[in-house]
Amino acid sequence: MSSKTAKPIMHSAAWRISLWATLAFACGTMLVFVFLHRFVADDIQRRSDAWLSGEVEVLADVAERTPKNALYDRVVGEVAELAGKEVPNRDLSESRSNDSVFFLQAGDDGSLKLWVGAGTGEANLKAIQAHRIVPDHPTDLHVQGFEVPFRVASTRIDDGSYIYLGLSERDELRVLGSLRVRFFLLWLLLVLFGFGIVFFTTRRMLSHVRRITEAASRIGHADLNARVPTTERNDEVGHLALTLNRMLDRIESSIHQLHTITDSLAHDLRSPLTAIRGKLEMSLSAATQGEQAEPIVSAIEELDRLTDFLNKSLDVAEAKADALRLTRSEIDLDELLRVMTDLYEPSMAEKGLKIRLRSVGSLKIEADEALIHRMIANLFDNELKHLHAACTVTIRLQMEDEAMTLVFEDDGPGFSPEVMPHLFERRVKGRESNGHGLGLAFIDAVARAHGGTVTACNRESGGAQITVTLPVASNEHARSPIAAMLGAS
Amino acid sequence: MRLLLVEDEIDIQSFLRSSLEEAGYQVEAAADGKTAERLAIDVPFDILIVDLGLPDMDGISLILRLRQLGVRAPVLILSARRSVDDRVRGLEQGGDDYLTKPFALAELLARLRNLLKRNSPAASDATRLRVLDLELDLLRREASRGDEILQLTQQEFVLLEYLCRNAGRVVTRSMILDKVWGMRIQPDTNVVDVHIYRLRGKVDGNGQQPLIRTLRGVGYVLKDR
Repeated sequence: MSSKTAKPIMHSAAWRISLWATLAFACGTMLVFVFLHRFVADDIQRRSDAWLSGEVEVLADVAERTPKNALYDRVVGEVAELAGKEVPNRDLSESRSNDSVFFLQAGDDGSLKLWVGAGTGEANLKAIQAHRIVPDHPTDLHVQGFEVPFRVASTRIDDGSYIYLGLSERDELRVLGSLRVRFFLLWLLLVLFGFGIVFFTTRRMLSHVRRITEAASRIGHADLNARVPTTERNDEVGHLALTLNRMLDRIESSIHQLHTITDSLAHDLRSPLTAIRGKLEMSLSAATQGEQAEPIVSAIEELDRLTDFLNKSLDVAEAKADALRLTRSEIDLDELLRVMTDLYEPSMAEKGLKIRLRSVGSLKIEADEALIHRMIANLFDNELKHLHAACTVTIRLQMEDEAMTLVFEDDGPGFSPEVMPHLFERRVKGRESNGHGLGLAFIDAVARAHGGTVTACNRESGGAQITVTLPVASNEHARSPIAAMLGAS
Repeated sequence: MRLLLVEDEIDIQSFLRSSLEEAGYQVEAAADGKTAERLAIDVPFDILIVDLGLPDMDGISLILRLRQLGVRAPVLILSARRSVDDRVRGLEQGGDDYLTKPFALAELLARLRNLLKRNSPAASDATRLRVLDLELDLLRREASRGDEILQLTQQEFVLLEYLCRNAGRVVTRSMILDKVWGMRIQPDTNVVDVHIYRLRGKVDGNGQQPLIRTLRGVGYVLKDR
């Protein structure tokens, strides 16, 4: 019953909507995080650059003031090592702290004058010389043997030598790395949470819509007074339900109006028809049979034709508006066709026509008995009126995909091209037809009222073909022709 | 037979009254529900004809009210409406009958007879039907005229049986379609006439006195004298 179980959740609109909404949300939050990351990275860099510039100034000051004697190396080395202990963003658990900072003094001839740090300092000096570092502007420096680059600040002191202070970017990158991991986890959590919320709210919303759709589809010919469920809330879905119900009110009132008009028309015409017919019959019984009676007889016959025309016109008018009222009961079409064939066979034979019935066997449908009887009688009348001698009418009753198909085909002249496009309209009839031109319109009306269709065409081998398709009401009935076929064989 | 006719259209009331009186009924007529109710309580009627569209009340309400008041006579409902009301169906199942306007007088009379027969103690279930020199054996499904056995098809036998059961009375085409083929249809073509024509060829074929008469504009009658 529910469409939730009928189709996978992936095909629901709620799923699609949440997928797109989540995608947009994910992109947005991702962008926010990228900017945030950028901001944090810049800030960290600025802080370490400030530290580097400050420290290199202090070291230069110390180097200038310290006399160039045997103690020079020790004094400046101590100060440099001390500075290395105050590195920003330091991970305290890190044991190899001494390789994150180096101090280097190079003479103006390019020789290494003083080195504080891990290793010999040759590689660092080489990298510095290759890179040409401008004083007072901290730059990134890749040193052979180290994975992460150093941030190096430099300054020139009065004796013409250069002082370089390098800080490994390892700590900075570690901080940023852990920040990225946290950002990513947070982002993932947000996206999943967002998806969940969007999915459940849209599904809840759409389940209202689905309930409205299901209710609306149930409102058919039978219960036009039913309404779709409304919600208390004053949102779009609530408005949809209210609008649908207002539309149904209007449809119901128009249909009711149509019924009132056709009913009162029928009533107002039938009463005088009854009186006229009664009076004619009385004068007929009074008149002697023969010449005097003849005009009365033909008047009665005309009156009966008029009555039939009135009934059919009103039925067709109502059916065109999908407003034909049905009283359904179970009908065996196979049995009905056999009786009809039996009824019409003598008239057909009298006219030199042959009739063949090919049926799958018992085929039961839920339909309005009176209308179906009249529809099939119309199909037979149609053949009888339009065919000339030596033609054969073949009637086929078959079952195709939950629907029954009734085909009337003949090898007569077929439909003439000029009436072909208007076959199901009122007052369309062949040139030689003496009917009132309602036959096919009526057949179409009855089929439509039962949720079926009628098609008419000329066969390739010549002759006309009319196909009526009617849905079989329930599964119970869909099984019966097969059962009947098995029983018959 | 006392009959109460409840019909507000004066034209219809007058022709029905004279036709019914001609058919041997004692007719009292009422043009509205109130009068009908008063008459039905005062006089015991054998059968009622009630039109659905009365000026002061719905025909169905009148019938239900009369039933409450203890009127047991069967009712023939006349309806000019297009669809048969569920309540009419209910009454039909309860033993009443309905007829849509316009109708043939013959059909009205036949339905009245049926209603009266239904309410009278069991009719004889004869196994043989005899009309003049025509004889039908209902058990062996055989018909004979004089000494000669008629070669009838199954359907022709059913048709002849229906005519015999109504011998001397007019049956219309729609009555034949209803009772023999079980359909309430109005064919544009002369399907019933052809059946009667064929049957007549077999029954009245050998220069005998013709039994099946056509009343043009009305129907057929099987002569019983």
